Amino acid sequence: MKLTFMLVLAALVLTPAAGFAAEAAPPGGPAKGQIAAKKKAKTIAELVAMYDSSSCVECHEEAHQQWENSVHSRSIYGTGRTAATFRTALVNGLAEWPFSGVKGPGDVKVEHLMGCAKCHLPQLADATDAVAKEIMASIYSWQTAIRKQDSATFEKEQAKLKGLNINCLVCHNRQAIVHKWTDGYPQAGVVYGSMDGEHPSDKFPKMARSPIMGESILCGQCHGLGPNLELDNPTQCATAYGSYLWYYRAEGGKETCQECHMRKSGLGHDMQSYRSEAMNKMALDFEAKADGLYWRDGSQVRPYVSLAVAMTNRAGHVIPDG
Amino acid sequence: MPVPQQFARGDRMGRGPYEKSGLIEESGLHPGKTKKEHFQIFFPEEVKDLDVHVQLWYLPYGTMQSDPFLWREYKKSVSISKEGK
Repeated sequence: MKLTFMLVLAALVLTPAAGFAAEAAPPGGPAKGQIAAKKKAKTIAELVAMYDSSSCVECHEEAHQQWENSVHSRSIYGTGRTAATFRTALVNGLAEWPFSGVKGPGDVKVEHLMGCAKCHLPQLADATDAVAKEIMASIYSWQTAIRKQDSATFEKEQAKLKGLNINCLVCHNRQAIVHKWTDGYPQAGVVYGSMDGEHPSDKFPKMARSPIMGESILCGQCHGLGPNLELDNPTQCATAYGSYLWYYRAEGGKETCQECHMRKSGLGHDMQSYRSEAMNKMALDFEAKADGLYWRDGSQVRPYVSLAVAMTNRAGHVIPDG
Repeated sequence: MPVPQQFARGDRMGRGPYEKSGLIEESGLHPGKTKKEHFQIFFPEEVKDLDVHVQLWYLPYGTMQSDPFLWREYKKSVSISKEGK
């Protein structure tokens, strides 16, 4: 036993030197090289342009079509319910809290929306408060258009809100590096994925390997640990990554988020949850057994159904969660 | 309700995703865990055959009035013997 321990120790001492010699350059770079480093977006249009990934579809059509079907493609609008929820966040929360500084939509700043936007639109952090106000104004206008049956305004605002989403550049650039002091900041013009090299695109001429593109921590940035308490008035919806680490992995689970939601499901970039038939089948075992029995209670004999129901969570995180 | 209304103080917490910054205890179904229920459903008088229909619903907003989702179901016709005492 003692000899074995000494050999392991020697291996630990020797390995780092060899490892450092072979290390590649970090995938990221200085903070000033980020997409948002030059200036903050002052309008929704500027924010959309800052993270415009519409040119990706030319070569990545299948991934684009998959993504279009996912809620990532309309992360602010959702089914309409998400957009409406931004408004009720203001009415039922911000405007009621005495120290939020918000009485109405005109008072809203980026910090007020980050409770929602930290996941639904993380790039809002790269915008000025004017964008936060414009988003709220657009949501109010969209809801007014619904009430007044003003289809032209409805469609205009809906399109504007749907333009704010979790697109290619959000995952393959902005969120592609978590530990930025270690790996560098994601650089403008670089698409982060599984390879290094040239990328045949004028806007994004380089590819770089993201250290986390295949790791659950990539998704964990939004589908969070939780409850996260980092905001001045914390709010939290998703705690999936926390339960993934502390229950699923701790009990021997080995799959990553991407393995189930992208590969095993066959959904690729159309990441879904329970409404997808493939995810639905994988997520849960459900079993019921029923039999008839007679029950004699003194002089009375009564028949009953003995029904046993069991459900087992086969997902890699708590249900429900997101 | 898009923001927490309960703040993990004393004995008060809320239901739903928005309330997770005010959780006191997590009561969801955790990975690999099994939840079992057993029911005894008495036959109505004179009835010897009963159709059992079990439905598992996911209620993202807590009620059947708001976006309910039928997740699984089970059907079985259960009969009891018509002889004996």
